[in-house]
Amino acid sequence: MTAFVIFTLLTVLMLTGMPVSIALGLTVLTFLFGFTTVPLESVALKLFTGIEKFEIMAIPFFILAGNFLTHGGVARRMIDFATSMVGHWHGGIALAAVVACALFAAVSGSSPATVAAIGSIILPAMVRQGFPKGFGAGIISTSGALGILIPPSIVMVMYAVATSGATYTGPNGEMVTSASVGDLFMAGVIPGLVLAAMLGTTTMFIAWRRGYPRLDPAGWGERWHAFSRSFWGLALIIVVIGGIYSGAFTPTEAAAMSAVYAFVIAVFVYKDLGMRDVPKVLLQSANMSAMLLYIITNAVLFSFLMTHEGIPQAIAAWMSDAGLGRIGFLMAVNILLLVAGMFMEPSAIMLIFAPILFPVAVALGVDPVHFGIMLVVNMECGMVTPPVGLNLYVTSGIAKMGLTEVTISALPWFYTMLVFLMIVTYWPELSLYLPRALGMM
Amino acid sequence: MLRWLDRLEEVLIATLIALATAIIFVAVIHRYSLSGIAGILSWARANDMPWLFDTAKQAFNAVRAIKLTWAQELTIYMFIWMAKFGAAYGVRTGIHVGVDVLVNALQPAQRNFFVMFSLLAGALFTVIVGSLGAYFVWELYHTDQVSPDLEWPMWIIYLAMPLGSYLMCFRFLQVAYSFSRTGELPQHDHGHVEGLEQQA
Repeated sequence: MTAFVIFTLLTVLMLTGMPVSIALGLTVLTFLFGFTTVPLESVALKLFTGIEKFEIMAIPFFILAGNFLTHGGVARRMIDFATSMVGHWHGGIALAAVVACALFAAVSGSSPATVAAIGSIILPAMVRQGFPKGFGAGIISTSGALGILIPPSIVMVMYAVATSGATYTGPNGEMVTSASVGDLFMAGVIPGLVLAAMLGTTTMFIAWRRGYPRLDPAGWGERWHAFSRSFWGLALIIVVIGGIYSGAFTPTEAAAMSAVYAFVIAVFVYKDLGMRDVPKVLLQSANMSAMLLYIITNAVLFSFLMTHEGIPQAIAAWMSDAGLGRIGFLMAVNILLLVAGMFMEPSAIMLIFAPILFPVAVALGVDPVHFGIMLVVNMECGMVTPPVGLNLYVTSGIAKMGLTEVTISALPWFYTMLVFLMIVTYWPELSLYLPRALGMM
Repeated sequence: MLRWLDRLEEVLIATLIALATAIIFVAVIHRYSLSGIAGILSWARANDMPWLFDTAKQAFNAVRAIKLTWAQELTIYMFIWMAKFGAAYGVRTGIHVGVDVLVNALQPAQRNFFVMFSLLAGALFTVIVGSLGAYFVWELYHTDQVSPDLEWPMWIIYLAMPLGSYLMCFRFLQVAYSFSRTGELPQHDHGHVEGLEQQA
């Protein structure tokens, strides 16, 4: 009953179009004043302490790093490198676009940023080479989603934050703690590469069927040249992933280091950014980060309320009563999140649903890291499903195409992503192999 | 006056994010330079190079004298201030997104009603939170609670809450007022990336 009231209220408030953060906050306040006995003081305290965690601070740092990188230089050099490596295969520069997205995803933690950075450079180039605009738009909008699967990833940090701070009981009564950011980052590597390969295969297949242009193979000298030019950008992958894996940095420190590093290469090495552009980049990053931190604050309040009302536990009990086992539960989660992904932003979905679904998943014996990767892949799909799909918006902005047109163009790759989602959902080893092999978990 | 407030808001949040990044960067460098110098120390001792040993020893003591244990705490507080004031700035730039699919499909008159409703709901929420925060800060003011590492009074740190929320409330009202006058809302274009046009 309580759950019903909370969710109805939240849904109604959200449908009026008010910011998600405000809708969450108002739901909590209404509930507090009207229905429950939680003391107001403890809520006020949550408002202050909700974002007082060092892990959360990785988000603004990664956004800052991403904004420095998006300003041209790094993305363009990665595209040149990718083109020199795979441009002579079927799909030519289109295949290079997938590879470039994967490379950029390894330095950026956000999907729309990946779409914007790679897409705005490679789409005009593809059109010049005679590819239909829709083909490029389809590739970019879906491959850009790799941004949140290949580490670093802002959405993974959100998952870790949303589920942290409590231990839950597994199916055999053992205690399970939430996944750490480092584990999640490592777990994202192999699925990210697999998805990139699958998207690339789809691209090659379509290009081969339709006979799209290929490039002449580049010589090894040319490849080496392209590599050395993009070296400083690629080295950031080592700073982030290597730094976290070796234990040299915590994820938040790695994020701060990559922000400083990205600043240095954008301003002093590649010189794509002047000193006087820096305040603008800072302001944009602060704006975006503050918006996310504001949602986080209110989502923390909301999940506090949910936990206080025992809703995750009620759902878990209901699930096991209904005889919906692990397979059924994971399928239900996928469907729920795909539907939610059509209407809401990934960060909001993650923050609202992860704390509710996580205890249920744990109770059914799903590994926290595997569950996290599965949710992230769901968020990727959510970014390319209309009416609210951030990647579609960004792509339609770059390609100057309508939203519907971009959506239809993206369908072949979207289906590929759905197949991939099934693989990730029911093959935990794909996600868990690397962190286990590295001895992280 | 308003221009002045706008400017202050922008300078504050941009400075905070820059400083926070710099602080963490310096703290990490500091940590590694300590272990780096310690490495030189033992190498100098093993290879019997007294001059290097002495120099390294001095450097080690100098670096160790700088205490940066407060860096993490300060960064968190800076980001809290940035989050509160940035959220207010975000209202002005229209970055706080909601589920507007349904509302956008409505007739203009009904849509305007819902937009106005959302803006006022935002103002209501922020004024409540701001007041809660003000009350909380008032209570803290009468204690002598200080932060663990920096030992700053907590009420000053938490002042971000009422100030930020009231400012955000003001921004919601400001946007609502201009919406009622002109029918226009600030729009944040997520697809726009600064500085890419000339590259493309």
